[in-house]
Amino acid sequence: MSKFSYNQEALKNLNIEDTSILDSLVDFESARAAHLKKPRSKVDKRISLKEAVAEYVSDGDVLSDAGFAYVRTPHQAYFEMMRQGKKGLQVIGAPNTNQSYMINYGTASYSHNSYIGAEMRGTDRNYSRQLKEGKVKILSEWSHGGVALGLKAAQLGAPGLMSKQMLGSDIMKHNPYVSTIQNPLRNDPDPVAFIPALYPDVVVIHAQVADKFGNAFIYGPVVNDSALAVAAKKLIITAEEIVPESSLRYGNGKKGIVIPFIYADAVVELPFGAVPGNMPGYYYWSRQWWEKTLRYASPVEEKFIEHFNEWVMDTKDQFEFVEKLGGAKWVAEARRQTKAAENDNEDIDFAYQEFTVDNDPGIYY
Amino acid sequence: MKSDTPANPLEMLAYIISLQIENDSVVYVGTGLPMVAAILARKTHAPNITIVYESGGQDPIPGDMPWSVGCPLTWRKSAVLMEMAYSFGQSFNGYVDIAFLGFAQVDMYGNVNTHHIGKDLTNPKARLTGSGGNNDLSSLTEKMVLVGLQTPERFPEKVDFITSVGHLEGGNSRKEAGLIGQGPVAVISPWGIYDFEPETKRMRVKTLTPGIPFEIAQQTTGFELLKPEGEIPESPMITPEALHILRTDVDPNGVFTTMPS
Repeated sequence: MSKFSYNQEALKNLNIEDTSILDSLVDFESARAAHLKKPRSKVDKRISLKEAVAEYVSDGDVLSDAGFAYVRTPHQAYFEMMRQGKKGLQVIGAPNTNQSYMINYGTASYSHNSYIGAEMRGTDRNYSRQLKEGKVKILSEWSHGGVALGLKAAQLGAPGLMSKQMLGSDIMKHNPYVSTIQNPLRNDPDPVAFIPALYPDVVVIHAQVADKFGNAFIYGPVVNDSALAVAAKKLIITAEEIVPESSLRYGNGKKGIVIPFIYADAVVELPFGAVPGNMPGYYYWSRQWWEKTLRYASPVEEKFIEHFNEWVMDTKDQFEFVEKLGGAKWVAEARRQTKAAENDNEDIDFAYQEFTVDNDPGIYY
Repeated sequence: MKSDTPANPLEMLAYIISLQIENDSVVYVGTGLPMVAAILARKTHAPNITIVYESGGQDPIPGDMPWSVGCPLTWRKSAVLMEMAYSFGQSFNGYVDIAFLGFAQVDMYGNVNTHHIGKDLTNPKARLTGSGGNNDLSSLTEKMVLVGLQTPERFPEKVDFITSVGHLEGGNSRKEAGLIGQGPVAVISPWGIYDFEPETKRMRVKTLTPGIPFEIAQQTTGFELLKPEGEIPESPMITPEALHILRTDVDPNGVFTTMPS
């Protein structure tokens, strides 16, 4: 018998019969055991992306997304998981822009959702199609804040948190993990949502810089990553640059946060690891590439596969991807764009020609 | 670009939304028109507002229009960049005055659906975005304003999925469900502005866009709209000054205020 008591109404609404598939995400004991086994000494953890994905991502793992939407998302690590033929991952899409591409290749088979889509560029028609065709099964629905609190609970060292989010909504009827309870402190009726601490199996965090031990510096939106780093049973740090440890020491005037080395299992030097997303300080996101994906590829399965075969399965690594985006010219312009957006470069004109099927730009700014 | 042409519906909407924002308030915005409206408000009648974004940026120094809520333009030299849990926590703790939310469907009690169209989440006609921060803001923020287009499908009697609770089943039911804040105070569509009748919490016409009769609003709504006593006032029209600022200074590239062709 499972040691967890899941929300029965949600199990029924989501057609989940074998609840063991839900256990790992909330299994504090196994997370703690995994954390206790991590190396304590400062050892050089640098390996290649191929090695890191091969060793630390297992079929069926619960993988939580990191970063935010277009920002600092470790797309290149996800692409490598697809190239290696990883199968059956549960993906926590919170936040999530368009990682539904992992479903088409069988890399992801389950989803925990809080957001699927691309903001003003529309909904993710690929995810919608995969869901209707039964290629992906929903294991839980959340709000952004609900997931953030579950991860934060793990970081705070609490078995869960009470929240005022999601109450009364149909999300509560489609989330096996969360239940409505009476606030035990109050005499008057005071419903609260109990959100358990969440422990993903594996997380990849892409940082601006890291040292070889795994201390990783993030600037720009941190979102959930400080919590994810603590919660994850296995943590892969990828970074634009590997720097000496001394440059990450406290008091150097940098604005941002540092994830401590003790959480990290592997460190990967991975310039352009967030491409085609935005990496603050390094490159802006490739708006035209996303428009091509969403407008040209997403609506039709064959085009979607053709598109991702071309950009992911048939490319070797992120450098080939960057070459296809426009190479050195793209790099220079993308750097200029993010720095201008951050007010670290003179203002520039952000106007660009949107991708249309009849007007493939060649360089994907 | 466009200069002397009359305001298009999106520009008119941006202006109406901006009027909901009072000076000296803290405003939580997502992408799209609310972002345009908040920046317009800051450049017109509400120079001392603080804009808060879901990605954690708050009070960025002015720059180009952000292309996404995570865009560096939402945290451009911000004094502080919040983690997501803390950012929503500000709404709970009473540090946010008003939030703007979009919807795929809204019902007569201001409940919002952004999840899917169809009866079954596991097998929908179309899957949409899901909550994102929509539920968090509607659950926690003091005042919410809902913004979107109006058709009978988008204004049904019951939404296909309650992503975010507005006034739930009316009356006191929002509070009884445990939610805080006033809930939705306004719904803004191209046809007009709606509020909620204080007792039943049912959607009621407040003002209509000049030239839009009540019948149009009713015909594009899947439930009976309540009417105020007497004649229905007209919504304010965008002023030439505001239109000029919108086109030259807020969204000069028309990223969010160009009508789809």
